Amino acid sequence: MPGLLRAEARKIASTRLWWALLIPVSLLTVSINLFGSFVGMGLGDLGGDPSPVLLASLAYALGLTGVFAAVHGIVSAAGEFRHRTITTTYLASGGRGRVLVAKMLAAGVVGVGYAATAVLLGLVAGLIGQGDAWPPALGALATVAGTGLLVCWLWSVIGVALGTVLTNQVAVLVLGLVYILAGENVLSVALTSGGDRLVEPSAFARLAAYLPVNAGDVALYDLPARELAGERYGPLVVEQLVGVAEPPPGWVALLVLAVWAAAAAATGWVVGGRRDVT
Amino acid sequence: MQATDERGGRITAHALTKRFGSVEAVSDLSFTASPGVVTGFLGPNGSGKTTTLRMVLGLVAPTAGEARIGGARFCDLEQPARAVGAVLDAQGFHPGRAARAHLRAHAAAIGLPDGRADEVLELVGLTDAARRPVGGFSLGMRQRLSLATALLADPQTLVLDEPGNGLDPAGVAWLRSFLRGFAGSGRTVLFSSHLLAEVEQTADHLVVISHGRSVYQGGLDQLRASSRSRVLVRCASPARLAEELARGGLLELDTLPDGRLAVGGADPVKVGDAALAAGVAVYGLVEERADLEQLFFQLTGAGSAAAQDPGVHPAAR
Repeated sequence: MPGLLRAEARKIASTRLWWALLIPVSLLTVSINLFGSFVGMGLGDLGGDPSPVLLASLAYALGLTGVFAAVHGIVSAAGEFRHRTITTTYLASGGRGRVLVAKMLAAGVVGVGYAATAVLLGLVAGLIGQGDAWPPALGALATVAGTGLLVCWLWSVIGVALGTVLTNQVAVLVLGLVYILAGENVLSVALTSGGDRLVEPSAFARLAAYLPVNAGDVALYDLPARELAGERYGPLVVEQLVGVAEPPPGWVALLVLAVWAAAAAATGWVVGGRRDVT
Repeated sequence: MQATDERGGRITAHALTKRFGSVEAVSDLSFTASPGVVTGFLGPNGSGKTTTLRMVLGLVAPTAGEARIGGARFCDLEQPARAVGAVLDAQGFHPGRAARAHLRAHAAAIGLPDGRADEVLELVGLTDAARRPVGGFSLGMRQRLSLATALLADPQTLVLDEPGNGLDPAGVAWLRSFLRGFAGSGRTVLFSSHLLAEVEQTADHLVVISHGRSVYQGGLDQLRASSRSRVLVRCASPARLAEELARGGLLELDTLPDGRLAVGGADPVKVGDAALAAGVAVYGLVEERADLEQLFFQLTGAGSAAAQDPGVHPAAR
C-alpha cells in the first residue's frame, strides 16, 4: 500500500493537472475574499464585526474549491482509462481495490492542498481588503478551515469514484460539473417548490439539504451564518444561502456528505473491480 | 500459491471462453506456453488474441474457463508484476509524463528501487529519451517503453500483444533476439501477432486461432511438414486432364488465373501419367509446396482468394 500511494503521488506530480487547477482555485479565492472584505468593511463602518463576513467568504471559496477537488479526482481516475495507463496500473498493483484506495488518498491530499491554499490566500486577501487586521477568532477560523479541508477531501474521493465508475473522462467531467454547478440547484428548487419552504417545508423540501453539494455547503456555512445572525437565525441564513429547507447542523451535514462519498467509493469498488479492461 | 510452480511461470489456459453480449470473442480455448520456449500466438485481426491475453492477465473476466500463470490465477498472485510482465498496448502512456517518471511511478507501485527505472531504460535503449514526455515518442519508442515497463520487476513470464508493431527492422531484430534470450534463460514468453513472418522467425511453438477458436497448436516444423503439396500443370486441355484425374480419384482441382490446372494432394508422376492416359499434351509441370503463409490462410480461413495464387501475398502491414 505505501508503494501504491507513492506511485499515485508520482503520477500526480509528473503531470500538469494539479497546478493547472491550483491557479483558478487561487484566483477565485482571492477575488471572492477581496469582494467579501469590501462587504465586511461596510459592515465595520456601521459598527459591526466584519469577521463573520470574512468567514462566510472563506466558506463560499471553499465550496467552490471542492468543485476543483472533484475535477482533479475525476481526471486522476478517468485519465488512466483515457490514456490506457490503467492496464499497467492494475497489472502492477495486485488488486484493483488497493488502486482505488490509493487514488482516493493521493487525490485527497491534492484536494486538501487546494482547500489549505484557499484558506491561506483567502485569509490574506480578506484581511488586506478589510484594511485593518481584524482576524476572526481562531476557533471559528479553524472550524471553517477544517470543514473546508474535509469537504474538499470528500469531493476528491467522490471525483475518483465517479471517474472509476464512468471512465469516460469527458463524459464524467461534463456530467459532474453540470450536476454540481446547475443540476443540484434545479433539483433543490424542484424539491422545495411545494408548500412554504420557510414556514412549513414538505418532506421533499427537507430532502434538499441532504443532497451532496448542498450538504457540503450547509456544513461550510453553518458557523459563519451563526456568527452573522446569531444562534437563532443562523439556520435561516443557511437556508437562504444554500437554498434548502430546515438544514441539519453543520456536523450532520458533513456526515451526510461523507455518506455520499462512501456510497460513491463503494460503487467504484464494485464496478471498477468487475469491469473488463479491454 | 504454489511457490515451486512459479519458477518458469508456465501459462496454462483451460477452456477459456469470453462472450461480449451476443458475440463470442473466444471459444473454449486451451493452450500452454511453456518455460524455455517462445510461444507465438497467431491469428488474423479480430480473432480474439487480445481478449485472450487480457483474460490471462486478469484484466478481462472469462465467461467460462480459467487461465493460470505459474500455477496460480492472476488475481491470486500476491505480487503480479514480479510474476508476469505485459506489453499490451503501446498507447498506454500519459502524453505529458516523461518516460522516466512513468517507470518510477510503476516501480514504486511494485516496490522496486528507483534505480531500476534507469536500468530498464538502458536495456531497451531509451536512456537518451528518459526525460522527454512520451507524447513526443514514435510508435517504436513507445513499444520499447512498454517493454521496459514489463521488465521492471524482472518477471518470470512475458506476455506481449503485437510487440513488433511500429518497430523498424533493427528494432524487430533486437526484439527477436531479446525474446529468444529471455526464453533461453528458462522463462516463458507468449507473444501475439497477426504477421506470420514475425512469428515464424521468433517462435518455437505456435498457437493459431481463428474466430476465437484454436485451429493449430504445435511446432513450426510440424506445421510445415503437414503442409500439402500441389502440382501445377500447363497443358493443351485442362478440361480433359481434369476428367482423367477425377477418374483416378484426384478431385482437388483448381484452375489458376493463368490457365494452369492446380492438382492438390498429388505428385508429379501421377499427374504426368494421367496426362498421358488422357492424351493431353503437357507444356509444363511444377510441384509446389504450400508455404506457411498459405497454410496460415487455410487454417484461419482468411484471405483465401489471395492464397489461391502463391504469387500474390496480401500486403503485410
